[in-house]
Parts: sequence; C-alpha cells; structure tokens
Amino acid sequence: MNDKAGPKRNTGDRVFRLITPAALLAGLALALCWVLIFVYAPRESTLGLPQKIFYLHLPLAWWALSGFFLTFVASIVYLRTGKEQWDAAAAASAEVSLIFACSAVISGSIWARASWGVWWTWDARLTTALIMCFVYAGYLILRSLDMPPARRARAGAVFGIAAFLDVPLVFFSARLWSYIHPPSISLEPEMKLTLAACLAAFAPLWFCLAALRMKLDLDGRRLDALRAERLSREDRRS
Amino acid sequence: MLLRLNDIARFYGPRLVFSDIFLELARGDVLLLCGPNGAGKSTLLNIMAGLARPSSGTVLCDEELRISMVGHHSCVYAELSALENLRFWTGLHGLRLSDKELTGTLERMHLAAFAHEKAGTFSRGMTQRLDLARAFTVNPDILLLDEPASGLDEASLAVLRDETAAAAGRGTGIVLITHRPGELSFPGCRVALLENKRLRLYEDFDAFRERAN
Amino acid sequence: MLKAALIIARKDLRLTAERSAGLAQAAALGLLLIFLFSLSLVPGQRMSAQGAAAVFWMASAFCQVIIFGMLYGYEGNKGQKQGLLLAPIPVQSIWLGKALAGIAMLACAQALFIPAAVIFLGQEPGPAWKAGLAVILICDTGIAVAGSLTGALAHGQTGKESLLSILVFPLLAPLFLGGIRVGSSAFGGSDEATGDWLGICLAFDAVFTAAALPLFPFAYSTDE
Repeated sequence: MNDKAGPKRNTGDRVFRLITPAALLAGLALALCWVLIFVYAPRESTLGLPQKIFYLHLPLAWWALSGFFLTFVASIVYLRTGKEQWDAAAAASAEVSLIFACSAVISGSIWARASWGVWWTWDARLTTALIMCFVYAGYLILRSLDMPPARRARAGAVFGIAAFLDVPLVFFSARLWSYIHPPSISLEPEMKLTLAACLAAFAPLWFCLAALRMKLDLDGRRLDALRAERLSREDRRS
Repeated sequence: MLLRLNDIARFYGPRLVFSDIFLELARGDVLLLCGPNGAGKSTLLNIMAGLARPSSGTVLCDEELRISMVGHHSCVYAELSALENLRFWTGLHGLRLSDKELTGTLERMHLAAFAHEKAGTFSRGMTQRLDLARAFTVNPDILLLDEPASGLDEASLAVLRDETAAAAGRGTGIVLITHRPGELSFPGCRVALLENKRLRLYEDFDAFRERAN
Repeated sequence: MLKAALIIARKDLRLTAERSAGLAQAAALGLLLIFLFSLSLVPGQRMSAQGAAAVFWMASAFCQVIIFGMLYGYEGNKGQKQGLLLAPIPVQSIWLGKALAGIAMLACAQALFIPAAVIFLGQEPGPAWKAGLAVILICDTGIAVAGSLTGALAHGQTGKESLLSILVFPLLAPLFLGGIRVGSSAFGGSDEATGDWLGICLAFDAVFTAAALPLFPFAYSTDE
C-alpha cells in the first residue's frame, strides 16, 4: 500500500515490457481477422451481412467478462497483500473491460435490430452485459471519488469482488425474466475458424490496453510520490 | 507486556509520518505522549489501538486484550441520554451493569444530575467527561487517551488524574497524548516525545523537562 | 456476534425513533414516487400488476439508499466508529446489526407502500399474496445484506459519496427482477415460475451474506 516513496521500479515492469510486442501482434492479428471476416467467412444465408457483427460482438463480450474476472482476482490479491500494483491492475482491467462490454452491448443492439427488427431484446446474455456495464461504471465512479488512497483502494476491491459475484445471479435472473433467446446459428467450419481467430486476436488488444492503463496509473502514483517528497524537502529547508 | 511496537514506520500516501518507533507498554504503565502538532501522535495512538496499520514494522498485542480509547471525536451519541450512552457501550463490552452502577460512574464524573439528559445538549467539557466515563467503566487492559484534558476545567482535571492513577493501579496500561505533560504527570509515569519523525523516551517527567530544555 | 448485533440494532432503532425525520423522509420519498407514477395513468385506468410491482420495488430501492446512508451516518463522528471497532465484538456484528435495523425500517416503509400501491395504482391483492409476502421478506433480506455492506463503503466523508449508494442499484438487479415478477403475481398478474424466482432471490441472499462476512472488515475500517 505504502511502498517507500521514490522512483522505485515495480515488479509489474516485466509485464509492461510485453506491451509493445502485444500491440504489434494485436495490430497484425486484427488486420488478418478483417480479411477473414469479410473475405474468407461465407455470407450467412438468412441474416446476410449484419451477421458479421457477431465476429466482433462475441470476442468483445468474452474478453470483457474475462477482464471482470481479473478485476475480481486482483481485488482479492490486493486485500490479502495490500500491494498497490494489484489495486492498479484491478482498476485498469475493469476500465478496459467496461469499454469492451459497452461495445459488446452496442454491437448486440445493432445485431438485434438487424435480426429481429428491435433495438433491444431481453436476451439473458445481452441483459447481463448491460447490467454489468452499469455495475462497473459504478465501480469506476467509486474509484474516482476523492478519498484517502488506501481507503479508495479497499473500497474498490470490496466492490470489485461483490460485482463479479453478482454476474451469475444477474445472468440467471435475466434468463428467467424472458424466454426469448436468439436462435442459435449453425456455424460452418469457416465461420468457426474466423470466430476463433477473432477471439484470439482480441486477447493481445485487451492486454496491451489494460497494461498501458495500469502503467499509466502506477507512473502517476510514482510522480505524486516524487512531488510530495520534493515538497516536504523544500518545506524542511525553508 | 501488554503492547510492543517494533520498528514501526508509517506513511500517509507518499509522505513519511514517522519511522523507527520502538515502544513497550506493561501493566500499570502510564506513558505521556507529546510532540508538536502534526507529528503523528494520533496516528501512533491509532496504530497502538489497531485502528490503523503501520506501513512497516509490527505491533505485538494479544487479541484478547480490551482496548479502550478516547479520541479527538467523542463516542457519544447526541440523541441518547448520558445513561443510555453508557448502557450501550458497556453492553457492547459484555458488561451488564445496573442503572445504579452506571449512575455511580456518572457520579464520579460529576454528571449524575444529567443522567437522563440527551447528550446532545451537553457542553464540550461534559461530553468529554461522559466519553471518559465510558472509557474507564469498561475496565480496559489498555487505555488510549488523545488529549483527554481538552475542554476540562480544573475540577474535572483532578478527577481525570485520579481515575487515571486508579486505572493504572488496577493494572491498566495507559498512553495519554497531551500538549501540557506537566498538567497530567504523576510519579512513575514515563514521557515520550514524538518529534522530527522519531520517538524519544524519557524515564520520568523530570528527565523529560531537563532534556527538553 | 448475534448478541452484539442486536445491541447495535436496538441502538440504531432507538436513534431512528429519536430522529424520526430520517425514516419519514425515506418513506415520504417512496410514497411520492408511487403517487407520481399514478400520474402515468389516465383517471380510472389501472396500472398493470407488473407495473405496480416495479414501482413498489423502485420506491423500496430509493428508500434503502436513504436508510443505510442514515444507519451508517449514526457513526458519522469518527469517534463512534472507532468505539465500535475497538469493542470486543466481531466487526461483522456491526454489519449484521445495521442489516437487522435496516430490514425493520424498510419493512415499516413498505407497510405504507403496499396500501399506497393498492390505492394509487389501482391494485387488488391476488390469490398469490402469500408468495408476495415471502418475496418481500427474502428480497428485503438481500437488500439489507448487500445494503449494509455497500452502505459501509459509502459511509464517511461528504455528501457526494452518499450518492454512491445509488450506484449499487444494478448490483441488486436480480432481487428487483424477482421481486417484480413475484409481486406482479401477488397483485393478480400471471403466475409463473414463482418458485424459481424465490430460489434466485434466496441465492442472492446467500451469496451476499457469504461475501459480506469476509469483506466487511475491509469496508468498515478507520485506517486511511
């Protein structure tokens, strides 16, 4: 929680060294996915072109959920160890995953419009994603409040844990709420391959965004510490 | 040994409040803790109480020990009467005291006449006395007092001194923050000065006065 | 733990009785919401059973925010919080005490909301009213269990943080969905899957109780 003030390097540095390769990998992989989506994968017979949203929608939702899980794990580790890099990891993961989840909700809404003619359906997965967007928006607002740093970190961790425990409850209640489910589309092998490629390609994207965000956060804290140290030095001199 | 602080340091955010703190408190000890404003006396008291964690170092203290504290902010609920306040806090400490016993406690703090008055109507000094009554009545092993003399008149100060001495006699270890150590010192008490991020210990008040001058 | 929790709950209810404005404010807000929603109806028209149940739970939700803000506000002064934390009791008994007091207060407010929904929203208690009462009990428990945890998070500081409790609304979504569906059947709406809903709400109670016990000490501490 309170590492000695000063420009101490964090153990997270090993992770941060992977940012550049991950970014390059993500760029190449996503470019390849674009080719796969529009050139390789066949056009779906009933839905036509809008079906291709699916290749973005699913990976977004998938990595958002995985990211929320990471926030959950990092929050537990933070409460156990009190090390601030876990707090930063939880926050960064939630932030990037929230963007992913919102994108998943928006793409899902467009999908619903194309396939059922409505902008919203009470599909369990879509509803869960929407409610989770609200929950994690609350999490980020909580983190942005003006509180003593240690208290904010603890409050964030408690909320981060409670939020993820809510996911299955929200999912099952949303499923019970409405029995409308999108008919499952039988995927052709080329579609499956494209989907798998997209799922994989979004992993380095998620990683480099979250790692960058975490690095930014930790650098900011280090800067604050340096500034405070300078101020107290000058204060002592005067 | 009731409490042992071993190489304690504390940061507030990135700022170092104090470090290299070693301290032991035994049964019947009275320690006066003084130092300039902002030196971290209250933070140190909170660390002793277990209400704040040190950034490094260890606090050794038996979980079973009862710790009672009178801080800057009183524990008194304004909407409850003096008696109800005492009954709540003693009840929470597992004590079932009769109204007579509770009134007796208030008596010692010169508050018996106001036993059924809402504590919100009390003056600062009365509130402080009620809070002290609460802290002494639960009969703690360790008693931590943060400037208990503030708001007290001469008569109440004498009561505080007597109660402190009596509690120490019963084996309570007492740490007491004060701006004017002379006011509350009595034979056998030690003095600790928290200054420039370090803690210096003096065997008694005279030694402290000599070296402080 | 239970004994200490009961002492704390009794103290909180005593304080609530003293500052009656607090609970009255919460109940008034809920009643006002129900009344305002009656304006969505053309005179003589009745609201659908599900609509009325939704309004009822929305009123309860806002009420909960005020109640738990108030309950933790009783230790608004740092000293009282320190006193509770230093008392030789499990920290969790504070959570439990506040949850118990919260249930009692929420139930008081809801005792006004039900007749208000009947009068303003044109409802009749249907044959499934027993399930309705059961779901109120189960949902109130869940709301109190989660509210007592998040109330401790929001507690402290300034007014802006009290808004924080509103952000926990989405966390309570499963309870609201269940409460609305079962409440709808209690107001004479269609009756389906009541048992499943009660199960989900009970699961919520269990999950959040299990989570609050280890998490509460972190949520409620003076270490900053």
